[in-house]
Amino acid sequence: MSKDLVSAFFWLAVAVYVSFEGFTKLKLGTLRQPGPGFFPFWGGLFLGAFALILLARSLKSRERLGSGAIPWPALIMVLGALLGYLLFLETLGFVIVTLLFLLALFCFAEIGWIKHLTWSVLATVIVYGVFKVWLKVPLPSGLFGI
Amino acid sequence: MEIAQGILIGFQVAFQPINLLYCFLGVFIGTLVGVLPGLGPAAAIALLLPSTFALTPVASIIMLAGIYYGAMYGGSTTSILVNIPGEAASVVTCLDGHAMARQGRAGPALGIAAFGSFIAGTLSIVVLTLLAPLLVKVTLSFGPPEYFALMVLGITLVTYFTEGSMVKALMMALVGILLGTVGVDSISGRYRFTFGIQTLMDGVGLVPVIMGLFGISEVLLNLEHLASQRVIYAEPTGGLLPNREDWRRSAMPIARGSLLGFFLGILPGAGAIIASLVSYATEKRFSKHPEQFGQGAIEGVAGPEAANNAAAGGAFIPLLTLGIPANPVMAILLGALMIHGLQPGPLLMQRAPDLFWGTIASMYIGNAMLLVLNLPLIGIWTRLLRVPYALLFPFILLFCLIGSYSVSNNVGDGIVMWVFGVLGYLLKKFDYEAAPLILAMVIGPMMEEALRQSLILSAGSFATFVERPISAGFILAAAMLLVLPLFTRRSEVAKI
Repeated sequence: MSKDLVSAFFWLAVAVYVSFEGFTKLKLGTLRQPGPGFFPFWGGLFLGAFALILLARSLKSRERLGSGAIPWPALIMVLGALLGYLLFLETLGFVIVTLLFLLALFCFAEIGWIKHLTWSVLATVIVYGVFKVWLKVPLPSGLFGI
Repeated sequence: MEIAQGILIGFQVAFQPINLLYCFLGVFIGTLVGVLPGLGPAAAIALLLPSTFALTPVASIIMLAGIYYGAMYGGSTTSILVNIPGEAASVVTCLDGHAMARQGRAGPALGIAAFGSFIAGTLSIVVLTLLAPLLVKVTLSFGPPEYFALMVLGITLVTYFTEGSMVKALMMALVGILLGTVGVDSISGRYRFTFGIQTLMDGVGLVPVIMGLFGISEVLLNLEHLASQRVIYAEPTGGLLPNREDWRRSAMPIARGSLLGFFLGILPGAGAIIASLVSYATEKRFSKHPEQFGQGAIEGVAGPEAANNAAAGGAFIPLLTLGIPANPVMAILLGALMIHGLQPGPLLMQRAPDLFWGTIASMYIGNAMLLVLNLPLIGIWTRLLRVPYALLFPFILLFCLIGSYSVSNNVGDGIVMWVFGVLGYLLKKFDYEAAPLILAMVIGPMMEEALRQSLILSAGSFATFVERPISAGFILAAAMLLVLPLFTRRSEVAKI
């Protein structure tokens, strides 16, 4: 399986779904009075057509799908930290999630625990000062009220 | 006369202290963003967009524009000193710029990049000043069919200029168009593809999408080099001023780069990156000593750096005259204008002359600021480059999080950013380009409206697009661009 084959299948599925929705639920309307489904339907149809071209081309290629040198642990940690930040932002409040976020991600810098701690705290204070105090961005305080 | 009057209004606006301040802030932040690899102008402008809501529209556009052309200056610094492009449009500057730095000529390389950028940037604004009002006159007569045809041509151009497969680029454009349909249908008022999610009711937000595709995914890709990122610096020694010989060799490349850059900048999708590549290829061809290219030929720095700055000026043409963005940065500026209640397009010049001319005038001032600022500040930028990426990227992510949340104080937008961060990462891994998606996503809703209006006007006949001469011309050009690659090998620039 080549990379293009995998992605062609994915976009083909998207195209089929979008066109189907456009045709059945949203309604095409008439050419004189195109409905809400008109544009998605044709857009999906064209996407599907190009996906088929890509699929046909990829069948000839001998390249194999490999995960290569993907740094899974780092990737999962960063994506997890981002998602965690968003999910807990409104309950824990901006200050706490920011501090936890920086504490987690500064692990990659390998700077020793004293620097790690002080920089995380210092950066949180500065970011708080800039965004919440100076720029007055309404960031959530959360249940501790800070 | 009209132009003279306009530019006079423009300078009156741009010289107001508050606008001067935001112009300065814009070019300063732009340079910073340009210097830092891994944070491009698109992500940076998306990030700062929410903080400009409180400003006047003029101040906010002046600042955001400043970030864009400021980044073009900053990008060269990193390319020359560290051999890493600080910004995508400075990729070719690495070749000869860094070679010059290794020979101890970092100073003149930085100097000629700054002067070339200034000259080209200013020249392109002069052409912009003269050309924009004329184009506005032409485009005022455009009806829905012309607009639709033009947007078809625009999207085709974007896919034509991408480096990889054109089929994939077309697919990305279609995905973008489909993303643009999410939310309320402006004609029937029906919800489309919202899956009952509150955040999607107003459509997929441009800011979170851009931050995801250009900010988050870039960081994710850079995680691969986290351990190996030890960079070699070439300290700028001696003076920064190019000598007489340097100037003699650079004069023509700067002139050619300005011209090329400006016109490639106007074309949707071509922009600064292609302009710098084409300029490099051109200079190599024109040179009597092409073998010196890659070994530290100053022409290879002067031309491309001039070209990418001129392209930044040219890119404003379609935005200011047609309301069509030529690149992702212009797409955000378009969004910014609309947030401030201004409809970009041919009427902008009449309805908001202070904004139209003020922005153009501020670009003259901004370019001068960049020249004065940049050379003395190079010391600061090099110090900044010593901060390891592992310390830097948590901040980039944090700013993206704050930025996406503060667009409308909605965690949902952050989730959208996260999803598009993952999608952007996968797109890179599967060799797709994100730029056509962004442009099509912005143009999509306008395109749909134009298409449906055209069909209503023509009583359901598609012939209207080929019967009207201007729209027929656009459609023909688009068709040729689609067919052309089947017969010829596309884009020689990719071979540099």
